[in-house]
Amino acid sequence: MGLLITPEACIGCRGCQVACKSWNQLPAEKSTNYGTYENPKDLTPALFNKIRYMEVPSEKDPMRWLFVSQRCMHCEDAGCMKICPAPGAYYRTKEGAVAINKDKCIGCRLCSAACPFNIPRYDDKGKISKCHLCFDRIGNNMAPACAKTCPTEAIKYGPREELMAFAKKKGYEKVYGQADLGGLGALYAFRDAPKVYGMNEKPEIPESVVFWHNVLKPLSYIGLGGVVAASLLHYIAIGPHKDKDEEVK
Amino acid sequence: MENMIRKESGFGIFNHWILAISCILLAVSGYGFLFKIEAIGAVFGGFPTMKTIHNWLGVAFSVSLFLTLFMYLKEALTFDADDARWIACAGGYLSHKVKIPPMGKINTGQKFYYIGLVVFGIGIAITGFLIWLFPENKQWLTLSHLIHNICFLFFVVMVPVHIYLSTLANPGTLRIMISGNIPYEWAKKKYPKWIAEVEHSHKA
Repeated sequence: MGLLITPEACIGCRGCQVACKSWNQLPAEKSTNYGTYENPKDLTPALFNKIRYMEVPSEKDPMRWLFVSQRCMHCEDAGCMKICPAPGAYYRTKEGAVAINKDKCIGCRLCSAACPFNIPRYDDKGKISKCHLCFDRIGNNMAPACAKTCPTEAIKYGPREELMAFAKKKGYEKVYGQADLGGLGALYAFRDAPKVYGMNEKPEIPESVVFWHNVLKPLSYIGLGGVVAASLLHYIAIGPHKDKDEEVK
Repeated sequence: MENMIRKESGFGIFNHWILAISCILLAVSGYGFLFKIEAIGAVFGGFPTMKTIHNWLGVAFSVSLFLTLFMYLKEALTFDADDARWIACAGGYLSHKVKIPPMGKINTGQKFYYIGLVVFGIGIAITGFLIWLFPENKQWLTLSHLIHNICFLFFVVMVPVHIYLSTLANPGTLRIMISGNIPYEWAKKKYPKWIAEVEHSHKA
């Protein structure tokens, strides 16, 4: 299951931000008007979903406004889940959401370093906080709060194949996130290049994290096992140092 | 009663075990984090508690490692022709038939081990403190996480070697870190240059 986000269909009402706060019982936060529809300015521990606002004027369309939902993308190959050292802090629901358990979080913030989309935030108790695709709703066959409230189907919830077919029907050739990071749980129907919508052309888990996962982690047990085995072998094959043997004839 | 000589001071022994115990517990909890091993977390009282313990053991480890600098660094950085000969015969560990060149208080292998311990120890300590205290800086956090794990490899490979060589592979060595005393005749064989120094200073 997943979400399909269509910025061209979004009217910027930000009902999704409100619905998300309502369902997840997140407090309102004081923010300041800095001259744009975007408010608050960034995701916070109490804001899991934010509509990013961009003006993209061109010759053809001098009044082009874009509204793009920014939130956890629920990557199939999730950097946060890869790097997290605490079992159960991050977990995958059967619907495919990357959900979190604050009680298991140890507050190390490694996930924020491994996330290709800069999503995880930390609350005042130092615990992870982010969109979990309303795992408590989707587990009961209800759409996530944001998708449920969206009046224009700019945020749509459903099986990924259906969402892909829906995007195609609407005339979107390529869907962002179809294959990135093993397939994103949040798909985006873009008319232009992803960077126009403020998205990475090729989102990737930081190389050092991939190297750590693929090389350093296996080496750490192969290394330990190797030297223990080598010591044992040395003890049997060559044996301990004997003082008498030092006299060489 | 055999004639004994003191090889390690009482404080040196105490500090060695602080370093050793903190290092082993850090490595065990480190494996717990690395592979999300619930059983290890349970032993340390759950993962959030294990994080706190891991951090403070890191403090003990760092202080203890710092103190060793005054004990072994000077000797570990002093090399001569006998060290080259020691490397050439692999310290006599691959065959009992070779003649091991005369060694001082610590042999060439121990010198390298100690230098590695200092280099990777400082690396793992600094990056550990960065991960603990400044996780807001993502570039530092990512880099520290990488270096912390590279240094971890040194410890999980070299510490077992150190333990093996100082116990099973060289019977009688462990007492240096228990009572600190070893038989004089035994020391004369194993550390001829050190004993020569001791005898020389006695005469003077």
